[in-house]
Amino acid sequence: MKIGICASDHTPESLVANRFARAPYFAVYNSETLDFAFFNNTAKDEGSGAGGKAVKVLGDLKVDIVLVPELGPKAIDALNAFEIKSYQYKQGKTVREALYEYFEKKLPEMLDASVKGKH
Amino acid sequence: MKIAILSGKGGTGKTTLSVNLFSSLNKVTLIDADVEEPNSHLFLKGNTYHEEDINKQYPVVDHDLCTLCGKCGEFCNFNAIIPAKKKVLVFDDLCHDCGGCKLVCPTNAISYTDKAIGKIFYQSVGDNKQFLYGRLTVGEVSGVRIIEYLKNVTKKEEVLLIDSPPGTSCSTVAAIEGSDYCIIAAEPTPFGLSDMRMVVELLREQKLDFGVVVNKSNLGNDDIYKYLEEEGIELLENIDFREEFAKIIARGELLVDHSEYVRNIMNSIIKKVLGETYA
Repeated sequence: MKIGICASDHTPESLVANRFARAPYFAVYNSETLDFAFFNNTAKDEGSGAGGKAVKVLGDLKVDIVLVPELGPKAIDALNAFEIKSYQYKQGKTVREALYEYFEKKLPEMLDASVKGKH
Repeated sequence: MKIAILSGKGGTGKTTLSVNLFSSLNKVTLIDADVEEPNSHLFLKGNTYHEEDINKQYPVVDHDLCTLCGKCGEFCNFNAIIPAKKKVLVFDDLCHDCGGCKLVCPTNAISYTDKAIGKIFYQSVGDNKQFLYGRLTVGEVSGVRIIEYLKNVTKKEEVLLIDSPPGTSCSTVAAIEGSDYCIIAAEPTPFGLSDMRMVVELLREQKLDFGVVVNKSNLGNDDIYKYLEEEGIELLENIDFREEFAKIIARGELLVDHSEYVRNIMNSIIKKVLGETYA
């Protein structure tokens, strides 16, 4: 299983990002190999539709689950279409801490958008 | 003769120039192509005799034909179509209606359907003048279709004024395309000059003739005049800022109905741009 995490930098000790689609990096944790890999988020500078594009980036990375700060309506639709589940972390944690909280089942699953789109 | 009035920076007097030029001419049609926030109609108080819905088209995917190859998503610059795991997602509000996804689809799985994105309004002003304006629905991404429609239905007019959107975006390009002359409404402030430079660049790229009207000419500094001289750009007229003008405009009235000074300036612009016979 692969778990994506929105990251502000490219190490497991980096803080989680405060935006989903505009996050600088996506961390991908592979639960079989126990490895972290970091990828530039190529959707972050999109003029419009970054939410859908960011989900596509995660889909191409074969992510099953993603840990996020907030999600807009288009990102939710796209996550559903890519069959990726999402869980919401709290700000101020590191990538590794957010991942541990997910495994400890402390993060709520996101079923609806938490913010309105078009900002 | 088609004359576009544009500015770069907002609030420099595009609409003031447009509606006062319109009122100074005997036979003329005006379109307000600033469909995101049209305002010429507030000054002209015409009589709406007809309105039409304007549609855009957006893609619909036939999932029996789609092979999820991903080409449509790679092509789309606006992330309006995203191939996912088992289906293709379409965000119709992001679609700019360019037609590209259908062209690149190898299995003909994409067709288009209509969606209303705004309206255009036809007004008569006085006895023999026509005014049209468009209004884009809030939330829609592009008014280009509406602007193209406005220009298409007025393409045979002898004298057409086009009150254009600010900036140098697709909407502005759509509004000024095919004009015989463009008038830049400028203001002598650092922001005004900076934004005007971008408009000059755009007009030169489009190979369109243009001149400048410096509005609020007694404010700011004279950098704009130095720039015009250096670049060899025609200065058509200056219009002073006066508190009474601001009050007249705030009441939704025309400067030419109140000020001989402005009437003379409008006539001078008309002579320079359209020739003696129209003044």
